[in-house]
Amino acid sequence: MQYEDPIFWRAGAIATTVVMAVVLGFLTIDSVAIIAPGGSHVPEYTVINRHIGYANDPKLGRDMPIIGKDEPLFGKAVDAAEAERLIVKGKLVIQSRACIDCHTFMGNGAYFAPDLTKAWLDPAWAVWQAITGADSKEAAMVAFLMEPEKYATWERKMPNLGISREEAVATVAYLKWMSAIDTNGFPIHFGQITVSH
Amino acid sequence: MSRSQRLAIKYLTAAIAFFGVMTLSGLLSAIYYINPDFLFGLLHFNIAKILHIDTLIIWLVMGFMGAIYWFLPEEFGREPVGIWVAEILFWVFVAAVLVVAAIFVLIQWGPGTESTLWLVQQGRKYVEAPRWAAIGVALVLLVFAWNVVGTALKAKHVTGIMAVLSVNMVPLVLLYFIAFPAIPDMAADLYWWWWLVHLWVEATWEILIGCIMALAVMQLLGTSRRIVEGWLYIEVMLVLGTGILGLGHHYFWIGTPDYWLGIGGFFSALEPLPLLGMVVHAVYDAGTHRMKTTNRPAFYWTLAEAFGNFLGGGVFGFMITLPQLNLFAHGTQWTVSHGHFAFWGAYACGVISVCYLALQKARDQAVVEGRAWMLSFSLLNFGLLGMVGSLLVSGIVQAFFERAIGGSTLDAFIAVQGNPWFMLGMYARLGFGIIFAAGYVTLVWDLAMLGRRAATVLAAPAPAE
Amino acid sequence: MSRGGAAMSAGAFLATSLLLGAFVLCAGVYGLLYGAARLRQSVGLLRLAVLACGVLCLIAATVVVVTPLETVWKAVIVASTLAYCAIPPVTWRYLQRTHRDHGANI
Repeated sequence: MQYEDPIFWRAGAIATTVVMAVVLGFLTIDSVAIIAPGGSHVPEYTVINRHIGYANDPKLGRDMPIIGKDEPLFGKAVDAAEAERLIVKGKLVIQSRACIDCHTFMGNGAYFAPDLTKAWLDPAWAVWQAITGADSKEAAMVAFLMEPEKYATWERKMPNLGISREEAVATVAYLKWMSAIDTNGFPIHFGQITVSH
Repeated sequence: MSRSQRLAIKYLTAAIAFFGVMTLSGLLSAIYYINPDFLFGLLHFNIAKILHIDTLIIWLVMGFMGAIYWFLPEEFGREPVGIWVAEILFWVFVAAVLVVAAIFVLIQWGPGTESTLWLVQQGRKYVEAPRWAAIGVALVLLVFAWNVVGTALKAKHVTGIMAVLSVNMVPLVLLYFIAFPAIPDMAADLYWWWWLVHLWVEATWEILIGCIMALAVMQLLGTSRRIVEGWLYIEVMLVLGTGILGLGHHYFWIGTPDYWLGIGGFFSALEPLPLLGMVVHAVYDAGTHRMKTTNRPAFYWTLAEAFGNFLGGGVFGFMITLPQLNLFAHGTQWTVSHGHFAFWGAYACGVISVCYLALQKARDQAVVEGRAWMLSFSLLNFGLLGMVGSLLVSGIVQAFFERAIGGSTLDAFIAVQGNPWFMLGMYARLGFGIIFAAGYVTLVWDLAMLGRRAATVLAAPAPAE
Repeated sequence: MSRGGAAMSAGAFLATSLLLGAFVLCAGVYGLLYGAARLRQSVGLLRLAVLACGVLCLIAATVVVVTPLETVWKAVIVASTLAYCAIPPVTWRYLQRTHRDHGANI
């Protein structure tokens, strides 16, 4: 009987694998353009010169990043080449310190430390602005990254990872850029406390 | 024993040793949640976690390699091509892993430059090892693939199982090269990283363990090759049919287009179906042999593989895979619960089963029995179930209070980490982890003593008809 | 999840997740009981298997009626239910047929 012949199922295995792989290939070609900087879901690196927000879009029924007016980091706008340099450096810092093995990025990583997807938008930075005496959120973030053990606000402290000022600035730029990625609404209702029924 | 089989025993031994490192570093990782000041300034959570998850991959890969090297000579009727290179590379592989572990513990990190990625730390999950080590691993995998595919190309007759294994080697090895790039764009980095991780553990590794279990079952139960091959092809069809586009369940929230929510969710929802088929198959095999074979530990671990894969991957996965649910569970301890259960069920149990099978032949035992295997089986599985259940409690608390209600801010995260039910889960996880570790110690003792004590070869029940 | 759909409430999400976990778990219990029933040729075990299958369908119905999943996802659950119901008997029959050809007596 045909169904009892392994050759029948071998043909099924080959056909299924090939079809699925081809579909994955086509979807990848499409996705790669969308996830590149400047694609529909991922902003150009120069977005770090702008104000970033996050709010519900009633038409889409989910939360979306909102790119606003000019708001450069440290009051100094950067061109595309400098923005890219900062992002490349920031990513090298993130990898060299294995941040993803304590934190999550868009929910991927380790769960010991907070998710950093919208860290740029976190209201807690107001506290750090106060305790570091910094004159801006980004300056507070830089101060924290350089000496996290000095500005701990919780019993679970971030260790000092020898992050230099240049590296800290690049990391902050990275976090600001990352907060502007359209993640299809993750995390949901960031910053808002929901009363559930 | 042939050279390949002697190499197999070395790989299986190394696998079990690194399983121990994984267990120890797992206990270490668990302690930080209980005692936040633990080793502060000396060794932090991220390094403990890196040791834990990297040795997970290493011990399983070594287990797979040991299993394949064990079965290859019988399948091909000859020593595998290039076995002498594999023999040398075994020592290179083990040495590299030890050096990398030392670098992780003693140096830990470097400045944000390319040279850090080459020498110290790449900081991408599971593939943190510096590039010089990744080159070594790639070499080991390439030679492994050559041992399999090269022998298949030279062989007069290639069995169906070896054909599947050989074809599977190609994507398995090629995917590893994703361990090398450092893409600045996190969305693109994660997109490709998930090709490596998912298409390893939910595709090519499933095929690999399927081939290994097929070979194991033929030896353990005397099942005919024709039956086993038919089932292997069905498994390949169903697992890859659901798993290749099931990759999309990692593409919900990383900046990818929203059509992945539908595609990933749908194919992921289908993934448990073949796993139910495997459970039914396991029940059939267990019943028709009346739970008796000449190697009960190997048989029980094979059954644990079928049930564990279904429960850990199927049940626990299905709870969190639909995108509208994953939105809340993503990146919480719920993920950790599912991950531990799925890896255990899908892979660890199978590798342990092969250890018993290989040792039975290597130590020339007619029957493998005893009390120690039952104790380690119980402790390991009870410990694992306990850990997974504890993490489920913490994960549910986190998904509910931090994500669904709390707005996922730093304050919400901190509040939930201190939630009494969350903390209960963390304490319980450590407790069950200690039980699991006791099971590991018993397993090592039992494998070491197999055939070397009179008690192992006792008056065992008569083998199946 | 689709364009225009609002996210679930916390309670609805938790209930749906747990129901879906119970759904697949029940499929596993049904598979186990079905296999045991056929091995032992036990009417009692077969009744239990049918009961498990019934509970599986009940959970699926609950998901369809009670949860705020979109219609297309509810359709996936319904189709999955049919598949889960069919898998144990179809798998068993195939196992018997292939093993019978090789001299097994079950």
